[in-house]
Amino acid sequence: MSDIETGQFSIDDLENVQITIGKIVGAIEKKAQEEGVEIGPTPKPGISGLRDWDYKLLSRYQPVYTPVCDQCCYCTFGKCDLSGNKEGACGINMEAHQARETLLRVITGAAAHAGHGRHILHHLIDLYGHDKPIDVGPSNLLAPNTQAVTGIRPETLGDLEEVMDYVEEQLTQLLATIHAGQEGAAIDFESKILHGGMLDHVGMEVSDLAQVSCLGMPKSDPEAPLVEIGMGCIDSSKPVLVVIGHNVAGVTNIMDYIHEHDLEDKMELAGLCCTAIDMTRYQTDQGQLPRAKVIGTLAKELKMIRSGVPDVIVVDEQCVRADVLDEAKKLSIPVITTNEKIMYGLPNRSEDKPEDIIEDLSTFKEPGALILDFDVLGEVAPELTLKMSKIRDEIGIKALPTDEELQELSEKCVQCGACELDCPDNLPIMEAMRAGVDNDFSKFEYLHDKCIACGRCDQACPKDIPVLNMIEKASQKLIREEKGFMRSGRGQISDPEIREEGVNLVLGTTPGIIAMVGCSNYPDGTKDLYSVADEMLKRNYIVVMSGCSAMDLGMYKNEDGETLYEKYPSKFLAGNLINVGSCVSNSHITGTAIKVAAIFAQRNVSGNYEEIADYITNRIGAVGVAWGAYSQKAASIASGCNRLGIPVVVGPHGSKYRRALIGKPYKEEDWKVYDARNGSEMPIPASPEFLLTTAESIEELLPMLAKNCIRPSDNSMGRMIKLTHYMELSQKYLGHMPEDWYKFVRTETDLPLAKREELLKMLEKDHGWEIDWKRKKILSGPTMKADVSAQPTNVKRLCKGEC
Amino acid sequence: MVDTTKNTQIYATWGRKTAKPVNPKVAGKMISKAKRPLMVVGSEILKDDKLVEKTVAIAKKGVPVAATGHSITALVEKDIGAKYINVHSLGHYLGDKNWSGLDGKGPYDTIIFIGHKKYYLNQVLAGIKNFTDLKTIAIERHYMQNATLSFGNLKPEVHLEALDEIIENL
Ligand code: SF4
Ligand code: SF4
Ligand code: SF4
Repeated sequence: MSDIETGQFSIDDLENVQITIGKIVGAIEKKAQEEGVEIGPTPKPGISGLRDWDYKLLSRYQPVYTPVCDQCCYCTFGKCDLSGNKEGACGINMEAHQARETLLRVITGAAAHAGHGRHILHHLIDLYGHDKPIDVGPSNLLAPNTQAVTGIRPETLGDLEEVMDYVEEQLTQLLATIHAGQEGAAIDFESKILHGGMLDHVGMEVSDLAQVSCLGMPKSDPEAPLVEIGMGCIDSSKPVLVVIGHNVAGVTNIMDYIHEHDLEDKMELAGLCCTAIDMTRYQTDQGQLPRAKVIGTLAKELKMIRSGVPDVIVVDEQCVRADVLDEAKKLSIPVITTNEKIMYGLPNRSEDKPEDIIEDLSTFKEPGALILDFDVLGEVAPELTLKMSKIRDEIGIKALPTDEELQELSEKCVQCGACELDCPDNLPIMEAMRAGVDNDFSKFEYLHDKCIACGRCDQACPKDIPVLNMIEKASQKLIREEKGFMRSGRGQISDPEIREEGVNLVLGTTPGIIAMVGCSNYPDGTKDLYSVADEMLKRNYIVVMSGCSAMDLGMYKNEDGETLYEKYPSKFLAGNLINVGSCVSNSHITGTAIKVAAIFAQRNVSGNYEEIADYITNRIGAVGVAWGAYSQKAASIASGCNRLGIPVVVGPHGSKYRRALIGKPYKEEDWKVYDARNGSEMPIPASPEFLLTTAESIEELLPMLAKNCIRPSDNSMGRMIKLTHYMELSQKYLGHMPEDWYKFVRTETDLPLAKREELLKMLEKDHGWEIDWKRKKILSGPTMKADVSAQPTNVKRLCKGEC
Repeated sequence: MVDTTKNTQIYATWGRKTAKPVNPKVAGKMISKAKRPLMVVGSEILKDDKLVEKTVAIAKKGVPVAATGHSITALVEKDIGAKYINVHSLGHYLGDKNWSGLDGKGPYDTIIFIGHKKYYLNQVLAGIKNFTDLKTIAIERHYMQNATLSFGNLKPEVHLEALDEIIENL
């Protein structure tokens, strides 16, 4: 192997020649050797690198396909009718095509994160250089996903480039397999889905590590500040600049300009979607106050624009409505696009002088501008906002209907039902219209929280009734009260925190981690998130939030007027509520699980993905909930969790992802693992019962969460705690004792003390177990033994004597 | 007699095979004829006591009940032997010939659906339609295009009337 290092050098005799060494074959291994790190069997795995592991997961958790469309129209042989699992002209059947469709979603999501990662990394390297150290808090394991997958232990921004190279190359390979005439087996598309999900977490991690290191964001800080959130917290009497999207790169220039020009009190800067979260993280790591407010999620975009309150809108990338420019134009709001992913057909003004751009936009010569130069953007956006505020005041913008018009519009309704059929949640709009005729608008108010502001009703109505505007107008009082607090994103969980809490998670005495992630496509309003988090926090679960869920959680208050972020502490401990940050911070959730394996259990992490995933699968009671998942990114995040054996529940809309991974608890042979001490087989409880599934309502979800935190490694105390929550939540929300509770009992000490006698009686009477009543001991019945020193593993090679 | 076959507008998804619109009388007869029927009841029934009442009345005619979501809360004390199960899991198990059913008595042949969210059930039904031979009958307020037979889109009051007719024909 060469001893040449990466970097640039010149050769004396060759004048003006500079040679750049990029990658060196075997460099990961060499560096690891120098540092005394052992590299596992799969650094930078290719598509087939972890296929055996995937097959293990997929034999227990079978893909369940629920096509959104029975046809395939991928190529001109088609379109082909695949219904009934028929084959299309190219020979692919319905199952494989559905898996292919799912793969396309997953790698689209992964590409969105990776594209974001590459963009912000490039931008930050430009500003801070390749050698800028990664600094994310008091940890040695800085990049758990990256290290487990690639074997690279990144220390500087420059090191992250090689990680992105790997992710991008793999995503290209995966995309290639979607072409007609490539992969034909559903199971191998499934393995590719898991591969894509894993890559996604690496791409996300790179994005967040880079921005946390360079942009002064909280570094594993449990005391990250509280941030104002909600449409009601915007002071519309001031000029309002609204930013929408996910990539904070250019927005920081706007924030600097506002700060440097003392404009903070003179205008409002607020964000929608994850850019908002990252704006509130910017430059707060030294205890500074957040410099922006959060309006909310994608579900607030149209409502916010149509309120007419923004004076200027800046968009970057991801989860931005496609009609922002059209909607804004109607209300004389200039739009600035700042990222090549969204340009809306606007002229590129990146090279122009700020004053010329401001002049053209404020005189409505152009409805907006594309500005890719962030210094120009930094000046134009705030200055234009100040100017537009006056201009728009003078014009007198009328956004929403008046009270009188509300009644007249209600009268126009012919009760045809088209809006309700088109509404994604079939909301009762007709009823609201009927009441509106009599000047009762309370039914519109009822719709407000449940409505995701998609605008489909408006499109459907044959009478051109602006249904969404009516909902918004009728809910003005509610909207004014929409003010809460969100804890700003704290970044990853640090190594010392893992050292403290890891043991409780593995033994089950902290009953589990509930990670509430994803977007705002809820089946029944945003408040459900609050109810779920509060219930699980009261029960001592660690609740971890991120992205849009983190925002929506902050919108509700309890009887004492407190949000959950104010009510619960925010350390990585049982009963604490954590916000890791924006969408890309989701990588810290999987990162936490990897850290438990690496730090608490001392497993080698570098390039050792299978062993780490196996450890997590059998020992860490974590369940992801993406209750309002809508995006392709949510699909890739879930798939990345799944490859690590972390189950995810999505809300009912998630059924439209077309495929779930569900196990069969009644098939006993599926619920066995090896005991690594001697390679013998041992039965395990059917939990998690799924890797990806849906729930119908939060009442169904809550007991599901408790049950699916049960793991083979629970000690008796842990199992008792988890079982207690499962039984109590079933009784509270489903009104019954769950039928399968006894299957999780290994010994009498797994039973809650207060109910032990009663439950022993049930075991004897209903399930025929033998009980020694004198000693209150179970003599026979359980299929599993409680043995804390057992070493459950799905991987034969990890058993003693196997390698 | 109500006509439940009129409005079968579908809304976003597509396939060549869509549900045949059915009237309550025919639906009732088919349920009666089934050897191993299963009625899958979703949480939407909880939004109207009358729906619960009619669901229970159908069950009392001898149709076993799978309660999905949290519909079990209204059915647990009704003496109809309703059993909770997640509807997505149920869709998976129904396609498994080795599954012995909620009562251990073997596979079902006709599955009846009531009380589900339209978009959600249509997905579960898409799986059953494409990968099993089961007959599915949606006696819902909304047209479920992926069922074998379905009511059309109905106003709530017409839906209740239609359920009464089914009960008469069981
Ligand atoms: S990819 Fe295959 S199934 Fe799809 S349209 Fe082309 S030939 Fe038909
Ligand atoms: S805007 Fe609201 S009410 Fe209208 S279709 Fe969308 S979710 Fe339904
Ligand atoms: S589509 Fe328009 S006219 Fe028809 S019910 Fe809805 S609001 Fe009324």
